[in-house]
Amino acid sequence: MKFLVQLILVVSIGAGCMLAQEIKLPSNPLKGRIVFEEKGCIKCHSISGFGGNIAPDLSREHYYGSFLELASIIWNHIPKMNRKYRELKLKRPSFSQSEMLNLIGFIYYLRYLGEPGSVSNGRKLLSDKGCIVCHDVAGSGGKKGPDFDQLQQFASPLYMVQAMWNHGPAMQEEMRELGMKYPSLNGHDIVDITSYIQQATIGNIEIRMAPGNPVNGEKVFKKKQCHNCHSIDKKGDAIGTDLNTIDLQKSVTEIAGSMWNHSPVMIDYMKSESITWPEFKGNEMSDLIAYLYFLGFEDEPGDPINGEKFFVDKGCIGCHEAEVGIGPELSKMKRFNSPIRMIQLMWNHADRMDDLLEIKNEEWPIVSTKEMQDLYAFLRNVTKQK
Amino acid sequence: MEIKRRDFLKLLGGISGAVAFSAYGCNQIIDIPERLIEMAKKGAGIESWKNTICGQCPGGCGISVRLIDGIPVYIKGNPIYPVNQGGMCPSGHSALEVLYNPDRIKEPMKRIGLPGSGKWESISWDEALQIISDYMIKQRENNKSHQVVFIDGSEQNSLMKEHISHFMKAYGSPNYYQYPSVKNSSVPFQLLQGIEQIPSYDFFNTKYILSFGSNFLEEGYSPIYYSKMYAHLREETEARRARFIQIDSRMSLTAANADRWMPIRPGTYGALALGVAYVLIREELYDKQFVNKYTFGFEDWTDKNGQTHLGFKSNVLGNYYPEQVSEITGVQSETILEIARELGINKPSLVLGDQGSADNTNSTFSQMAVYSLNALLGNFNNESGLSFTDQPPLAELPEVKVDKLATIGNKQPPIGLSQNSAFPFTNFSVDSFIENVLADDPYPVSALFLYKGNPLFNALNHHDFAEALKKIPLVVSFDSFLTETSEYADIILPDHTFLEKWDEISNIPSVGFTHVGIQQPVIEPLFNTRNSAEVLVDLGNLIGESVSNALPFENYEQEIKFRVEKIYRSGKGAIISEGLKGSWLEFLHQRGWQEGEYNSFNEFWELLTRNGGWWNPIKQKKYIKNLFKTPSGKFEFYSQLLKKKIDQIVLSRGEDTPQNRELLINSLNISARGDKIFLPHHEEVPVDEGIPLYLTTYKLLTNRNGQSSNQPMMQEMFGYTNRKYWSSWGEIHPKTAAQNGISDGDWMWIESSVGNIKVQAKVHPCVMRDVVAVPFGLGHTSYGRFAKGYGINPYSIVKNKYDVINGNSAPQATRVKISRAT
Repeated sequence: MKFLVQLILVVSIGAGCMLAQEIKLPSNPLKGRIVFEEKGCIKCHSISGFGGNIAPDLSREHYYGSFLELASIIWNHIPKMNRKYRELKLKRPSFSQSEMLNLIGFIYYLRYLGEPGSVSNGRKLLSDKGCIVCHDVAGSGGKKGPDFDQLQQFASPLYMVQAMWNHGPAMQEEMRELGMKYPSLNGHDIVDITSYIQQATIGNIEIRMAPGNPVNGEKVFKKKQCHNCHSIDKKGDAIGTDLNTIDLQKSVTEIAGSMWNHSPVMIDYMKSESITWPEFKGNEMSDLIAYLYFLGFEDEPGDPINGEKFFVDKGCIGCHEAEVGIGPELSKMKRFNSPIRMIQLMWNHADRMDDLLEIKNEEWPIVSTKEMQDLYAFLRNVTKQK
Repeated sequence: MEIKRRDFLKLLGGISGAVAFSAYGCNQIIDIPERLIEMAKKGAGIESWKNTICGQCPGGCGISVRLIDGIPVYIKGNPIYPVNQGGMCPSGHSALEVLYNPDRIKEPMKRIGLPGSGKWESISWDEALQIISDYMIKQRENNKSHQVVFIDGSEQNSLMKEHISHFMKAYGSPNYYQYPSVKNSSVPFQLLQGIEQIPSYDFFNTKYILSFGSNFLEEGYSPIYYSKMYAHLREETEARRARFIQIDSRMSLTAANADRWMPIRPGTYGALALGVAYVLIREELYDKQFVNKYTFGFEDWTDKNGQTHLGFKSNVLGNYYPEQVSEITGVQSETILEIARELGINKPSLVLGDQGSADNTNSTFSQMAVYSLNALLGNFNNESGLSFTDQPPLAELPEVKVDKLATIGNKQPPIGLSQNSAFPFTNFSVDSFIENVLADDPYPVSALFLYKGNPLFNALNHHDFAEALKKIPLVVSFDSFLTETSEYADIILPDHTFLEKWDEISNIPSVGFTHVGIQQPVIEPLFNTRNSAEVLVDLGNLIGESVSNALPFENYEQEIKFRVEKIYRSGKGAIISEGLKGSWLEFLHQRGWQEGEYNSFNEFWELLTRNGGWWNPIKQKKYIKNLFKTPSGKFEFYSQLLKKKIDQIVLSRGEDTPQNRELLINSLNISARGDKIFLPHHEEVPVDEGIPLYLTTYKLLTNRNGQSSNQPMMQEMFGYTNRKYWSSWGEIHPKTAAQNGISDGDWMWIESSVGNIKVQAKVHPCVMRDVVAVPFGLGHTSYGRFAKGYGINPYSIVKNKYDVINGNSAPQATRVKISRAT
């Protein structure tokens, strides 16, 4: 046993830090919704009220965090879930790697999708933000901007933000002339305003946008040359903020609001540098924000030494010890080339593990995000030889 | 060239093999144009897939067609189409045998011999259209436009219905009919609930299903949709699985898949349903709150004139106690108690009725009885119950501007309805139509257009129908094949097969969500055929502006686009995609998202045609009170609509006296009297006394309406449940067989008062005693080399009987005797 641990340590040291890009950007993060439904998660959990009421509503009680953070939340409530499966006579599902990734990616993505707005608050905001100085709504307001009552294409909050973004420089000019303060959009402002306009407009066409595609979003990021000012590698050597250092685990409209709020500075800078204002069309803004949102999905590299300690301390080694353990010997296992494989295997064997622990009067091992990251770094190296 | 059956099966294993097959001189089976064979000979080509909607039956399944260098070589179910979710029936799988069928009509034809003589000559499209349009112009000019009749036998819920309807309205004829008529089948629901629609049933959330003869896995409107729902039902762990009971005279495929099969005498399903109602009421297992608040006529009631009327409850408790029902149905009293209790205790439970309970002279009343059980269980507007699907937000075709000539024609009485008020709720009675044509009553029919279908083969009174066809001066058939019916046509205008044409197929009856499928060409037309929709436009152009203006589109594809653009603009629903559910779509819509990436109508159309269709799984929220369009605004156990109609007919015939009323009720062949007429009740089926056995017919998934008889693979699979191929058979119970000295495999005569047929006996215990069951679908006298001369058509010995209310055929209402054929 000692030899195995020593071997593991040797292999581990210096090898656990380069884990970047192990999880590919998803082109459709909503694929996991099918897994969520087909594997029966929806029988206990709901999404905004659609689904079971036994377990938390995943869109109301947001579970934020990286892949392994979300995985650790799932792991920690496995015994409770197992009891529910038995009680409800449900078959406990097992997952393939892609199913596991899609499921966790979907849960991660839920916050991006946002929440419905408040009509009454939207009405107040339109007035407070000064929008009605230029825009006519419900028969009153200015005539300089498009008449909100006559908007023919409307439904999506992001559609509105994209339109605003595109005419941002012109709007800034107008506002300067009128001596108005450039309105900032925070929190639920955008969805609330949209909800009100949607009620007020007499347009009979509903145009929505497709939820963002992070893969396309990466292309938009490059195409619009955002990378000229914003880095995503945390080195902090760009003109603008490094996008990987700010909190982007917000809804799409909140992120769009942040973009909008920093647009005056951006407009001024770009004007001074004679750079063309980047306009968005089609689904570009949705895709771009989805890309930015997914920057936080991949985990920080873990520490394999701590991971090995965890592995021993939590008793995993009791089952996965060479030749004497009940579980497979890790060094003989196919290489863990991504955290997805680790989580998939952990989930699929958790049923049996739960029974064994109960039989032996042992507690279910609670795993923090950091511990999960460390454990992965360790296991990745243990299985590296294969 | 002789082909052994084994070789034949091997060769038909894949159509890609079949292309080669044709190339090597076997075009008697697969007729593939030379240009495609030459392409195929070049070796492996580029593969692509195209999604469209199957046209083999009205089921509306989405299909994916595999193409090699643009040549269709294989068909499978479209995995993302919500109706069939990738599932397919055998007939759909072998639909390439329709495309490449050697008996396709390849160009317009004109009959040169006597009707039915089979002598034809080819003519050009121009000549054919000129002959027809000249005739139609003449009819219109002579104020006889109403004498032109259009029978649509396609059974598809497609845009063609609107298209033909517009054409006929603009031309000036009230005589456009669909046969078989879905509206006829919806009459029981109309009488009780006021809605002319077939309901859909939620299998997903129910714990117990009681089916009165509904063979939904084979004969339903959309068998694959229901197969998928049924599969879902069976997916659950045993402890959570819903229980399913099938009541049927014969063990159908559906019955064989049930937890329990309960045999019953044909024509007595309504009595059994009321026997079940008796137990639910007596043991207070019904939904009292729903019944008290949302139904009319449950208890005895008093009208505004102070007259007391019999209620459903009194009628059921007084007349349908188990012992009495057992006498009628042959189902034991204890069994009735057992299933009624299971139904009442295992809520939410669901009750279905069709086929077995719908193919007889008493079907409307039987279906009313069956449907009443759902009212007793409160199965409306809730999960696990039944519902009526919302209409898709398609644009209406532009309103027809009717000219003076058309106005006169449209005002004439319809010829598809009885002239003596028989079948009071029918939308089209084939029996009345035949009778009217033969009697020139109320006027002669001068032209008949037949769009697909094969009414002569499907109707009960073949002889009279054929005589009627002979009597009509101009019969025009729009079809891809020569059928028994089109043998009587004067001109045949060959239609594309569904794989070569555009259409829009929406809301298949009984499917539980709003949907629109796009049928699109997967290949250019192989022959000199045309889409009948566009032929009608051409005819309109030849007839004149007032008719051509009714369909102002460049082509049929543009017409479909015009309709679909409104869906795009509505923002409702979603283009079909993998695993989309209603709750999720609602979640997205609430947040301003759409399913699928598109930013203009052109992009929407492109994605729509690529994926195959659109659907809206989100049901409109409805208050229970809005579910009932009856005079009382409630579910009517006592049908005031039926009462009103009977009253109207009595008045239209003279004074409302008891004698006149009695005369009418007698003429309608209704045996009940007083208030019972308007309540769900058991009407005894009039049969020939002294003839011992019931004849029942049924349809198989491989060949539902006889349409697939011209597909060799479907002939090979015809009797897949009992290994009988290319031939018909008669199923009898071992005791019935023994009584008649017949053994399994013997040839036997089945004889009714109409005639006799000879079939091989299939002796097994999965059929009710005193019943002979014969499959429908074979016995063609035309329809190409694979159909003609194989098997028998059991309708040839079925008596000419119809449901007394909706006019649908009653193929289960004939008694027969059997004898061993020597």
